[in-house]
Amino acid sequence: MASIRTYLQRIITKTCFMHPRVYNSPQIRNSSFHSSKFLVDVEVNTKYETTKNPEEWKYVERLLPVTTVPEPKKLPVYASGWKPQGDDLKDRPYFIARTRNHMMPVYLEIRQRGTARHTIIKKIQGDIWQLEKDLRPFLEDLLKPKNLRLQVNEFAGKICINGDHVNAIKYWLGERNF
Amino acid sequence: MGSNTAEKALQMLKFLPRVCLANLKPSPGSRTSKKRGRGQHGGDKHGAGNKGSGQRQNYMRLGYETGNNPFYLRFPHEPYYQGHHLRREYPPLSMLDLLKLIEMNRLDASKPIDLVSILNTGLYKIFPDQRQYGVNLTDEGADVFNAKVNIEVQWATEPVIAAIERAGGVITTAYYDQHSLQAMINAKKFFERGVPIPRRMMPPPDAIEYYADPTKRGYLADPEKISEERLVLAQKYGYELPQIEKDPEYEMLTERKDPRQIFYGLHPGWVVNLKDKVILKPQDEELERYYAS
Repeated sequence: MASIRTYLQRIITKTCFMHPRVYNSPQIRNSSFHSSKFLVDVEVNTKYETTKNPEEWKYVERLLPVTTVPEPKKLPVYASGWKPQGDDLKDRPYFIARTRNHMMPVYLEIRQRGTARHTIIKKIQGDIWQLEKDLRPFLEDLLKPKNLRLQVNEFAGKICINGDHVNAIKYWLGERNF
Repeated sequence: MGSNTAEKALQMLKFLPRVCLANLKPSPGSRTSKKRGRGQHGGDKHGAGNKGSGQRQNYMRLGYETGNNPFYLRFPHEPYYQGHHLRREYPPLSMLDLLKLIEMNRLDASKPIDLVSILNTGLYKIFPDQRQYGVNLTDEGADVFNAKVNIEVQWATEPVIAAIERAGGVITTAYYDQHSLQAMINAKKFFERGVPIPRRMMPPPDAIEYYADPTKRGYLADPEKISEERLVLAQKYGYELPQIEKDPEYEMLTERKDPRQIFYGLHPGWVVNLKDKVILKPQDEELERYYAS
């Protein structure tokens, strides 16, 4: 047993001599990442050149992401099918704001382990009951033999509809410039 | 004081009815009435049934048949999905989505579009550790695509290439290895790490055929063969090929990366210092040889 220990010790001292930096500096184990000290004076043995070229820096700036969502382009026709919100919405009894990404706030929520689908319209301001009254015949027409199940949450400004009608409602809202 | 209350109590006793079994009551608050649970199990099952996965809400994984030899393992040889856990994935991005990103100013079409600029929009994500290797540009919306772009994707089909070239644009398919992708998914964070830009590795043997194919507009293909194939595709799909040489944006459309390069205009091996706005370039001969293309 003792002979094994001396043998191991000999190996350890040997390897430490092979790496003088390891031998000279004792191992430090900080209690956590946050309490550990900053690394200072890292030895850099490679030759390098520090350059400040505005032409090269343009390529770096191209890679940095923008911090805010930009305003969409103003085009006469949008080939992608997206439409900006109309400007003539002040005289309407209700208003549906766009999201920060300039999209309509109509979402599909899948519940009950994928068996229940609900369409939710958010960001409704003004007379939400009038919106429900306007929307109801359009959706009832789509569902014809079945009856429409729709909930209005006036306080939160949301309307929840049973079933997946996201595209239909987006079309309906787009027709009315929302 | 004490005698006073005792006197008061005695005074009251004169007028109060006599204490007997008929008017004894427990002191207020000492007894609480039990609530009656509603429903079949009085609410103790919380609507989740009795016993098994239903009660414990630990639903079985897909295809598991509670100890039976499952259907998907019942037949001995089904090689279609062999090695599916090792295959490269290319999460799709449709041309319609791409057009929407350009029209909504999320992507700048006046500069070359690559994986970094698509990821910087924050509307498309990849996870390289899940073997996702970049964009698969799909042909949904190819008919309405009208933006002139110089785009670099990781996978594209023939109709997609045709749609982009018909609109006057240029498409390249390029491969990035895992380390390069880790640097690309958040370029700002990568620069903040103070690590040299890695050099791009060559594609693995099973991908090299695709990326050297001029019909796929591979980045390793011969440029002359690519321009030939552009003409062939234009004749096949029946559109007039717009001439890039006469385009006012010729320089933008012909900007390409080196096969070893990850970011446009930045050489592998450089260290970008965002704080001092300087670039550190290695001068060691050995390093220069390592990072050379």
